[in-house]
Amino acid sequence: MIHDEIVLDLLQKLDAYKSMGPDGLRPRVLRDLADAIAKPLSIILRQSWLTGDISVDWKLANVTPIFKKGRKDNPESHSVWDSWFVFRLCSLFKKNYFIFCRKELILSGTLSPLKDLHLGKLALTKFPKSPETWIHRRWVLQQLIQENSLPAVVNKGNLGVAPAERIHRLVQEEMDVCSEAAGRYPSNYNAWSHRIWVLQNVGKLTTKVLLDELSSTKYWVSMHVSDHSGFHYRQFLLKSLIGRTVNDNNTLVQNQMGNEQNSSLQTEEECEGAEAVCVEEQSVDISHYLEEELDFCTDLIDTYPGHETLWCHRRCVFYLQHHLINKLPLLSVAASSVDSSDETLYNSHPNPTTSHMAQVMDVDGLNESSSKQGYTQETKRLKRAPMQDSFGPEMEYRFIDKVLSTCRDVDQARFATAYRKWLVTFLGQ
Amino acid sequence: MPREDNASLVLLQGTPQKDVVIKPDAPSTLLSEKHADYIASYGTKKDDYILILYESLHVVDVNKIVEYIQSLQKEDGSFAGDKWGEIDTRFSFCAAATLALLGKLDAIDVEKAVEFVLSCMNFDGGFGCRPGSESHAGQIYCCTGFLAITDQLHQINVDLLGWWLCERQLPSGGLNGRPEKLPDVCYSWWVLASLKMIGRLHWIDREKLRCFILACQDEETGGFADRPGDMVDPFHTLFGIAGLSLLGEEQIKAVNPVFCMPEDVLRRINVQPELVS
Repeated sequence: MIHDEIVLDLLQKLDAYKSMGPDGLRPRVLRDLADAIAKPLSIILRQSWLTGDISVDWKLANVTPIFKKGRKDNPESHSVWDSWFVFRLCSLFKKNYFIFCRKELILSGTLSPLKDLHLGKLALTKFPKSPETWIHRRWVLQQLIQENSLPAVVNKGNLGVAPAERIHRLVQEEMDVCSEAAGRYPSNYNAWSHRIWVLQNVGKLTTKVLLDELSSTKYWVSMHVSDHSGFHYRQFLLKSLIGRTVNDNNTLVQNQMGNEQNSSLQTEEECEGAEAVCVEEQSVDISHYLEEELDFCTDLIDTYPGHETLWCHRRCVFYLQHHLINKLPLLSVAASSVDSSDETLYNSHPNPTTSHMAQVMDVDGLNESSSKQGYTQETKRLKRAPMQDSFGPEMEYRFIDKVLSTCRDVDQARFATAYRKWLVTFLGQ
Repeated sequence: MPREDNASLVLLQGTPQKDVVIKPDAPSTLLSEKHADYIASYGTKKDDYILILYESLHVVDVNKIVEYIQSLQKEDGSFAGDKWGEIDTRFSFCAAATLALLGKLDAIDVEKAVEFVLSCMNFDGGFGCRPGSESHAGQIYCCTGFLAITDQLHQINVDLLGWWLCERQLPSGGLNGRPEKLPDVCYSWWVLASLKMIGRLHWIDREKLRCFILACQDEETGGFADRPGDMVDPFHTLFGIAGLSLLGEEQIKAVNPVFCMPEDVLRRINVQPELVS
């Protein structure tokens, strides 16, 4: 019953689609006939949308006269119908009942999860933010993961493809879906947090995956310098890389201890030597990526002045560097556990409002001092000198001073000043 | 400069808009009568409906509610939103707030629940929806509220979080939810309530925020919109009024920052979590 009502509702709202093509198949006609055609149309629609098959069989007798006219007179109108139809189908994805039906069909084995993901992907092209769509997507992926962990004999489809390969494809597809949605809506929290969820729950946070993602998102963020979610994603990747290194080191240490007990074929020195080299390489690698990220951030800040996102990104990258170098524990620092080497030294009145509220902002007069160009290798400045000088708060203060003395953008100055205050207050330097 | 509709924040060159400009003729006083009329008449429109519950705890099946919430807690302490299993710190807050109002907070594993919420704390002092997620004012409100209810506010670095929160204030006086987003009246609540809970409300420019919130009123229809000039709705009306209450508006009753409910109601059932002063 409810499907008839939905269809009736849709038909009655056809006003929104005023230009339906030159064939004379006016939305108004359909709207006026809504009562008459709602039921038969709903039968077709129910069949197609619940099974995920969006190529509707137009030959069903009751509705043929209307649709046939459209198709005969104008080949365009069929695709117009399709796009209207698909659009409404996508809208349905936002409705709880529709999503509930899809879940029931998946659980009963009637609807394939992959087909549902495909329709969801379509829905996201129209509604890239839609929380319900992303939430449902995660449930479907959970179903697929469970299915995938079953023995091959029980597994319904894709018998020829290994589970690992299947998972890899699934992850890649999700990365693409998230990327598309991120491009369609600025700072798309839901898309980027889904991306993180996929890496954490479907894929694995291996070094290779993390580095691949770091490299594949670099260009995108350079083209979306206001996209805080995009930059946060990179922060997540870098932090995970650090976490990974720590785990690897722990594993190596454990193995080393194990070897010491068991091994008689290798000398202890050889074992330790080899593993020490591995540990060393991995630590250096992470520093290298953090340094690269800081350089990247510097270039963007110089190229696109006045973007708060870039300064926020800088805070995080510097924080990660600071913790890595000083071997401090990352995150969840309880306020109660303050000690001198910790980050939580602060003044009694850090009140940040005075630093920017005092300035009168002329928002209307705001303009970009440089035109928006893609980030290119050519704009990258020369590599810095020795390691000692290439990180640390002193370098940051020098950078801030340089920006303040050369920038002409009011916001840029504001953000640089705020960054300095933040550093002083929270990194206790 | 031309301001596009709500959904399209892009100016001519493709630069996202970063703040609003409050017009000189924007409302500058609280239009209480208008808002009362707006809410009262909202339920009479056939397409929209509104459900107003007046302290009706006696009509609900408390045990069933408690059981349901218990069933949603996972091994890591997190909460799902429903049987389909989506995890989000918002649900941790809903679980804790519901149980606190019913006096049944001990029905869940509070320690584990706290552990999970703390695992969602980020380097900037804020919280996201899951571990590793971006800090977001709405999520921060939920996590801070949760920690207030479970008496764990000392786990928060209040200066660090307070700093992040007051950086949400834009030149127009309004508050946004994340860097480089537009101000929105509902964020005026999420951010303000969080600041109140951690004792840093004075870090905001209150006068400018008050101006912004008042400018979001619609003089003709009553109600508040997300930002000046937009369409009003009950959601933003609630948070506009609650926000003004936190700022000390005399015409409005005191609103509790944890539950977004009148203080006198919570006083009566003795559910007023201690806040950072």
